Order: sequence, then C-alpha cells, then structure tokens
Amino acid sequence: MQHRRGALLVALALALTGAFALAAPRPAQALTTEKATARPNEDGGSSVIGGMDTRLTWEGTVEPGEEVTSVTLTLPEGSTFDHSTTRITALDGLSRMDVTGEAVPAGDSITVTFDQAIPEGSLLRLEITNMQFPSKGGDVVVSGSYEAADGTHDLADSPAIATIANTPLQSLVNWLDEQPWVEAWNSNQFLGMFLRPQLLVTSFSSLAPGWLLCLGIVVAAYPFAIALGLLFAMLKISKWKIVRAVAVVYINVLRGTPLFLQIYIMFFGLPMLNINIDNNVLGIIVMAINSSAYLAEIFRAGIQSIPQGQYEAASSLGMNYVQTMFNVILPQTVRRVIPTVTSDFITAFKDTSLLSSVGVMELMMFSKNLTTVTGNITPYVAAGIFYLIVTLPLIKVVGIVEENIARSERGAGPRPKRRADIADNADALVGKGAAEKNGVAEEGVARAVVAKEVAADAC
Amino acid sequence: MTTMNRRNFIATLGIAGSAALLAGCSNDTAEQEPAADDAAESTDEASYTLVKEGVLTNVAELGFSPFEYIDDEGTTVGFDVDLSNAIAEKMGLTCEWLPNQAFDTLVPTIQQGGKADICIAGMTITDERLESVDFSDPYLNSNQALIVAASSDATTESLNAAEVQIACQTGTTGDEWIQENLPNATRVPLADVTAGMMGVSTGSYQAMVIDLPVAQNMLAQSFSDLKVLEEIPTGEQYGIAVSKDNPELLAAVNDALAQIEEDGTMDEIKQKWFGTTEI
Repeated sequence: MQHRRGALLVALALALTGAFALAAPRPAQALTTEKATARPNEDGGSSVIGGMDTRLTWEGTVEPGEEVTSVTLTLPEGSTFDHSTTRITALDGLSRMDVTGEAVPAGDSITVTFDQAIPEGSLLRLEITNMQFPSKGGDVVVSGSYEAADGTHDLADSPAIATIANTPLQSLVNWLDEQPWVEAWNSNQFLGMFLRPQLLVTSFSSLAPGWLLCLGIVVAAYPFAIALGLLFAMLKISKWKIVRAVAVVYINVLRGTPLFLQIYIMFFGLPMLNINIDNNVLGIIVMAINSSAYLAEIFRAGIQSIPQGQYEAASSLGMNYVQTMFNVILPQTVRRVIPTVTSDFITAFKDTSLLSSVGVMELMMFSKNLTTVTGNITPYVAAGIFYLIVTLPLIKVVGIVEENIARSERGAGPRPKRRADIADNADALVGKGAAEKNGVAEEGVARAVVAKEVAADAC
Repeated sequence: MTTMNRRNFIATLGIAGSAALLAGCSNDTAEQEPAADDAAESTDEASYTLVKEGVLTNVAELGFSPFEYIDDEGTTVGFDVDLSNAIAEKMGLTCEWLPNQAFDTLVPTIQQGGKADICIAGMTITDERLESVDFSDPYLNSNQALIVAASSDATTESLNAAEVQIACQTGTTGDEWIQENLPNATRVPLADVTAGMMGVSTGSYQAMVIDLPVAQNMLAQSFSDLKVLEEIPTGEQYGIAVSKDNPELLAAVNDALAQIEEDGTMDEIKQKWFGTTEI
C-alpha cells in the first residue's frame, strides 16, 4: 500500500517536473529533489560536454517527520560515476551538520550511504566530482531512489541538465591528452604549467574574441586620441598663457597618474554621477583620453623639432600661421613622430589589459577565467602570443621607419616617401596662389618650390 | 655458490636497510609526540620545509574582510590572520604575509611552491582544488550570498537572463555557483570583492555572488545600499592550502589547528571577528 502510494506520488511528481521543469517540485516525498546542476567543463566555454569529467551537484530536502539513510542517484545510460569523488553536505538552514557517509559508484548510478541518518528539514547536498554525462549530449535528468525509515522510494526527477556532445576542438584536446609526447612534455613542471599543449589549443580558440575586443578598443580609440593629442599639442605651444596652462594640466595629470586609476575613476565614478555608458565604449573613451596626453607630448616635441628656418621660409612665402602649420610644419612632423606614435599605439594596445580589472571582456579577462578554471598559467602565455601577433609587426614597422628617417637625416639613401605629401601640398599652394615666386632657397621649402615648379612645368 | 652468497648478502643488506629506515620513521614520530605537547619545540622543525626558516609564510588575496584585509593603518588583519598567527605560535614560528595576490593565483602559487608555505584565504575545500594542493582540516563553515542593490526588485529567477551582469571574485566558489545556477546571466569575474560591490552599488552589475560572511561584513561596514537577496546554503568549508610536496607541514598545521580548537583559541578568534562562536 505504502509502496503504491509512493509510486503514485512519483508519477505525479514526474508529471509535475515534466510540466514545470524549473518550478520547485512539490513536497510529496521524504526526500524532495531541489535541483541538479553540472559544472561547465568545456575548456574556455560554458557548456557541459558529455563524455568528459565534470561535477554534478544534486540537492534535496528531507521533509518533516522523515529521515534519510541513503540516496542513489541514477543518470541515463552512457553516464559514469566511476572514479568520482563525492562531497556530502547536510545543512540545517545555513549551518552545516556533521554528516559523513560513503559513496559507492556503480556505472551510471552512485549510492551514497550516510553514517548518520539525515534528519528532517535538512538540505542534503551531494557534489560528485569527476563523473561523466553520456557522450552523445542532450538533456539529462537525474533520477534515483532513497532509503527512508519506511523503505526504499524513488526520487523525483531533477530538472533537466543541458549537455552537449563533444566539439571538434574538444576532440583535438582529448586527442592531445592521449599522446605520449604530450604527457612527457607536461611532466616537466615548467612546460606543463606554462605551455601545456592542450590548453594552448583551447586558449587560442577561446581567447580570440577577447583579442578582437582589445584590438577593436584601441583601433577605435586611436583616431580620437590623435585628434585630442594634436589639439592639446597646439594648445601647449599656444602664445596665451591660460590656454597653455589648461593643456599642461591636462597632459601632466593624465601622464602623471596610472592608467589603472583613470580606469577606476571612469568606471566607478561616472555611474555614481548617473552617467551610464556601455563598458566597451567607456573603455574606448578611457584609452583615447589616456593616449591623447602622451600623443600631445609627442606631437609637441615633433612640432618643436622642426627648425625655425621652416617657419621663416614659410612666412617669406606669405603663408599665415595656420597655413604654415598644416602645409609645412605638420607634414614634416608626421614623418618624425610616426615611430613614437606607433610605439605609443603598442603601449596602448597592451594597456587595454588593465580594462580586465573592471569587467571589460578583453584578452586578459578571458585568460584569467581560463587560468581560474584550469589552475594553469598557459592561457596567460597564449594571451602573450596574441599580444605579440599585433605588437611584433608594429615594432618591425617602427624599426623600418626609424631607419628610413635616420638615413634621410644623414642625407644618404633615397628620400623618405613622405616627400610626395609635401609635393601635394605644393600643388595646393599653387592652386591657391599663396606662394609667390621668389628666390628664397631655404632648405626644406626649397623642395616644395622645386616641386611646385615641376608641377608648373607639367602644366 | 658465491653468487648465491652475494645475492643473499645484498638481500640481507636491503632488509636491514629498510628496517633501519622504518625504525628511523617510527623514531621520528615518537620524538614528535612529546615535542608537539610542549608547544612544538625546535625538534620537529626539521621534519617539514619552509620557504624561510623560522617563518610561516602566508599568501592570500587581501581584500576579503573580515578574513584578511588591510586596515586603515596598512596592517594585514582579519580572522584568518589571527588564526594563522595562532598556528604559527603553536608551531614555534613567526607569521609573515606576502603582498596581496589575486585569488585565482593562490592555488597555483601553493602548488608550485617556493613562494609561500600556506594559503589561508577563506578558501573552500573542493575536490578540484584537492587535485592541485592539499588542504588542512576544515576550520570554518561558510555559505554563499547573492547580493543586489537595496532598491532592486530582482529575484533569483529574474537574474538568470542574458542581459544581467553578475559579478563575482575570479576563481571563487561563488564564481562556480553563477556558472551552474544562473547559466543565462553574464558572469563578470573580478579580481577584488570591493570592485564588484561598487559595481553593484553603481548599477554596472545587477548582482554579485560572494561568501556570506564577507557579504554580511562588507554590507554592514561600507555598502549599506546593498542587500543580501538570497543566502545560498552551500555548507562549504574553509581549509588551509598546503603544497602536496609538504605533507609534514600539513600534519603540523593540522596538529596546531586541533590544539587551537581544543584550548579555546579558536572560539576567542571567532568571538573577536564574528561576535559569536556559532559559525
């Protein structure tokens, strides 16, 4: 009789859980299933993959007037509890009770027998580590039975746990797991900790979005940084003291404080002023503002490194200040600052890593998460490689440009490519008729004049 | 005949050698017993290795009040700090703390060895961590808390949505709890707890999951605009992480812990930091 009622209730509970998979099951039994969850085991992902070690957490409540002495959890065929370890926790409210027990895995089921009966009203929590779900994936329901004072009863089915079949990437990792050379490689503590092949593979795939975000942030920020930097460079060499002071304060404060601090102020300060901006956009803003201060100094130095004679020559051609700046000084400045600006770009790109501290999902954030899950440093090394993919070519570019400039400054070798720009500007000047023919043969401008004459000849 | 003799000789030597070894071992333990009794004198210092002689070097994430944090004067204080001092005292050592280190790097640090002897950082004993390091006997029970802004009308169910950002400290059990129980929400793992709470208070994140004692302490101390939406019973237990290569140190720590429990020091420390011994 008792048994039949139990079976009926199980059927009812089954129907209920089927209908309301997420709703809490009705307290109909001595041990009510509260939930069953599985720890995501996809390397660098958030899915639960079948056929791979993971952790199942099952919770149930012992109903009033009942006691439970043993619980058996059963999973669909293909699952395995073999080689698993089980943590038993029984809680009365929030306080932990002293409960010990023994877990005996047997294929797709595991029986946990408690040394002391679990008393009424307690929450029973079983954490089974290193068990596996069926490798074909799909929704998995934990069923099973328990032993109360009045005999063995079936457990209500748990809400379904979504699992997936193995991914190609994961298969590659599993293949690597089996290779003897990988094992030998990993047995070296240093190599295993910093360059574990399996983790390198997963890191590369799972860090990619973070890398793209880093690149996106810095590429989006840089045009603004250049514009702002140029503006403040101009302000800093202005003849008005107040304007200069503004620029000096801006540049010095930003260059004199850590980027980390600026990030914190922006990310936690602005929301307090009820200014809520998307994290990624805010990241772009911080990076742009920070870089602009450095760029302002670079541009200022670049502008001031242009010999005074250039200004004199320009004014002797009848150019005003703005014309001089945009047609004579800045084009030459650009050429001179390209290496330093590129270096600053590299720095800015690397500095996006600081944004991870405020929850921007960039490269370091992804690698940090992976490191957490794996307890291994390899994801950081993979992140390093991702940074190098961008920085190494840029460093090379800096080297080439510097070499070119040095050669042209020495007066040897071919003229720098930038000369074309100056020629273009000369064309513009011809068009405006701003430059009158006169015999000034000041060095740099002479080039422009020559170019202009060439242009005139061509006409 | 001669070979037989030689083989016999070697075998005898081997047996004698292992007997001597065994004797050595039992002698060691015999000597340790009385030593432990009079508050661990120098005799058993040799049985385990320390990074720095005479010093028990701790590593932790120092933003986890009331367990370990840096107070107004810049000193590292907290429940774990007092406990660690007490353990060191029982072992006849002094206690030192390494600079703050992110929580997720603690297990690798201990596993690698060479930098710190023990990690006492409000760290839950889990089977995953046990694969990398050893843990002492549990010294404190804990639970998790789901924190939201005091004005929020969110429920645990409503937080399980893609547009919801939930902060946690990287690598903590709270981090795992979000992954398992709120799989649809966007999890934001952060290096320190304060950053997460600030984020919830400013509205950058909708919620945070962190150890209940820490949540209660920090909400009472500095985040009155937050509330604990749900006390999550996990019954997890904090343990002291020790390298797997140093089982003697683990035994000594466990020994000291047992003494601390027995002589009432533990209750004193609990009373000091939690105002109760029932935790």
